Amino acid sequence: MKKELFANPDLCTGCNRCTIACSAKNEGVFQPSKARLRVTNFPLRGFSVPNVCFQCPKANCLEACPNDAMFRGADGVVRLNRDLCSGCGNCVNACPYGMVEQNAKGIPYKCDLCDGDPACVKECHAEALVHAAGDAALFQLKAAQMKTRPQSGTPLEKRHKVAQTIKRNSRG
Amino acid sequence: MNLYMGKMLVVDLSAESVTTEPLRAEWLREYWGAWGLALAYYTDAVSPEVDPLAPENAVVIMTAPLCGTLVPLASRMCLVSKSPHTGTIFESNVGGSFGPELKYAGYDGIIIKGRASSPVFLKIDDDRVSIECAEHMAGQGIFETEKLMEAAMGAHGAKTLAIGPAAENLITYSMIGSESYRQFGRGGTGALFGSKNLKGIVCRGTGGVRVADMARFLERTDHYTKNDLLCDDNLWAKTDGTPILVEVTNEMGIHPTRNYTKGFNGRKDRLNSDAIQAAKLGNRACASCPMACGKFTRVNSAEIEGPEYETLCLGGSNCEVHDLEAVIRFNRLCDDLGLDTMTCGSTISLAMEMTENGVHDFKLRFGQVDEYLKVVYEIATLSTERGRDLAKGAKHLAAKYGAEDLSMEVKGLEMPAYEPRGNFGMGIAYATSERGACHLRAFPIFATDPHDIDALVSDVVDAQNANSIKWSLGFCDFWGTINTTIEADLMSAGLGEAVSAEELDQAGERIWTLSRLFNLAAGFTAADDTLPKKIMERPLEAGRHEGRVFSRPDLARAIQSYYQLRDWSAKGIPSSRKLAALGLDKKTL
Ligand code: SF4
Ligand code: SF4
Ligand code: SF4
Repeated sequence: MKKELFANPDLCTGCNRCTIACSAKNEGVFQPSKARLRVTNFPLRGFSVPNVCFQCPKANCLEACPNDAMFRGADGVVRLNRDLCSGCGNCVNACPYGMVEQNAKGIPYKCDLCDGDPACVKECHAEALVHAAGDAALFQLKAAQMKTRPQSGTPLEKRHKVAQTIKRNSRG
Repeated sequence: MNLYMGKMLVVDLSAESVTTEPLRAEWLREYWGAWGLALAYYTDAVSPEVDPLAPENAVVIMTAPLCGTLVPLASRMCLVSKSPHTGTIFESNVGGSFGPELKYAGYDGIIIKGRASSPVFLKIDDDRVSIECAEHMAGQGIFETEKLMEAAMGAHGAKTLAIGPAAENLITYSMIGSESYRQFGRGGTGALFGSKNLKGIVCRGTGGVRVADMARFLERTDHYTKNDLLCDDNLWAKTDGTPILVEVTNEMGIHPTRNYTKGFNGRKDRLNSDAIQAAKLGNRACASCPMACGKFTRVNSAEIEGPEYETLCLGGSNCEVHDLEAVIRFNRLCDDLGLDTMTCGSTISLAMEMTENGVHDFKLRFGQVDEYLKVVYEIATLSTERGRDLAKGAKHLAAKYGAEDLSMEVKGLEMPAYEPRGNFGMGIAYATSERGACHLRAFPIFATDPHDIDALVSDVVDAQNANSIKWSLGFCDFWGTINTTIEADLMSAGLGEAVSAEELDQAGERIWTLSRLFNLAAGFTAADDTLPKKIMERPLEAGRHEGRVFSRPDLARAIQSYYQLRDWSAKGIPSSRKLAALGLDKKTL
């Protein structure tokens, strides 16, 4: 069974070890703003949402790419072939969860599940991030998180909207 | 640069100017970061005679070298200034995520000088830094101020420091809040911002922190996280957090109850860790921390991150309030209005005792919840006479009504929640701390013999030196097993230069000694290294150490032995030999 990344906001402490670790692995520097997952914090309500790429079965980022630079690997992970990418940014706009961004050179980056060995999961001591084949409960959790699909806004705004719905469902 | 960003932000509110300057490289290996480096910048900028609330005073906020990296429990940031509450040099530190964000924005710290002519806030958006109008935030609580500043940034998730009405009213135990429930809590940090007309700081940073060799740095970090941090001695922080201390201190007979009359609270189970767990919705963490000691709780409609141990005791047991919902409400009011829960709780318990003793009727009685909650608002807004009385803190409140024997403070700072009659080490720690009664300089509650003065003096000296460097490297108290060998190894891996435990040990002593020099120059003497009258004269009631006092002769002996061990004179003045050894002999204050 192929493993997927699941996030459980009810267990998330808002520590950001995941984003710090992700940026260290992918950028060689501690820089959460460049992490491939992000954490939306609501400190007043004591709630945090890990925003992750769902590697969507029907991936808008992939469908929106005019150059077939986005493709799905055998492991189900949606990846970028840099050689084909024109830097148009269509994928950034297309992802409803705000999980693709472009670097200073216009090259998009997104989660590649660390080729099956996710750095973020290893640093999540709260078990809010799980890398597993998944059971009914986890798939249900994921499906609920995928329901809110903001169509416009910056990636940050989309992540915030998605997180707000999740918070409302959990904490009122 | 590795670990450091190499840049300080200098804000002059009188001149309405924001500039940057390179980090003073020559200070880094003497003072390292956070507390130490802030102290170096502060003492360089300001004379010890300065009036804390005058525009001439400066406030230095400083991050630490490992802050923003994957090293756990290393992201605390310090504020150093002269305290309006104590008149001493004062270091206060806060966790959360503001420190890392400031570094990601490109700065190691901020120096704030002058006074704005009307309320302003500081907006830091990477390298775009501006002083913005805050008139529409005036009088707002911390929670709303944070929301307004975040909106002004136009980006969800910006990190904030904010003050509430208590600080605008220059109450000397007002604090600066961060991310709702975290604080530069003690010593009137809020009034420092208030006196500068600075309502807050909002920061967004998108840059990163670099290290010499990422693979090696991650390997060392992982090693100490697994083999030292996440071990039995420290895991209480993850499972229980500070509320575990309710049982621990009661068991030890050092749990302040009824304004430090008793050392044991028979109704502790209403406020202990089990009670907190029963009310818990989730765990909360500072940036990069795997422990998540913060417990987010809700009772009926009252929710908060906390209450922490100090509030459970000083706002609970010590006021004989045994209702967790009431303590949560008290805590939340303080967090929003901007008051230090410790000083506020202690001042209220004093007023309760004064009322019960017939000294003065404040209409505040032990265990009476309604008035206890009402008076917090009155203090923060100065809206009633008793509010204005209590807003001055325990020392001045007691002095006004001739009740000096009931006020529980050292150098004007109200005592934390550990009873010195039951543990002389805590008494020695309070008496000798540079900022008055404080449990974050030495914490000898687990000493084998809590009344063995010689052993405790030596424990206190060692802990003060160790904590001086620990806070300077931004570490949290709750990595209880860390030492300068681990710290040196992590710093070496990050900097790519050899750092030795010995130089860190020496830096700790240097920082402690420089604080002492400042206080001496500010007019403090050996006579201020003392304890409240009640501790020295009135026998403790209830608990394991019932009947004990920490007598004047015992304390005098402890203090002299402390000075000797530090190579200070009988008057508490560091010897020139000691100053030379620490490289402080040419330091002018
Ligand atoms: S980037 Fe967005 S659209 Fe693409 S797979 Fe991930 S979540 Fe789905
Ligand atoms: S799986 Fe890897 S790339 Fe994806 S978010 Fe986690 S650390 Fe980043
Ligand atoms: S490491 Fe885990 S607990 Fe921490 S922010 Fe990330 S998902 Fe949340």
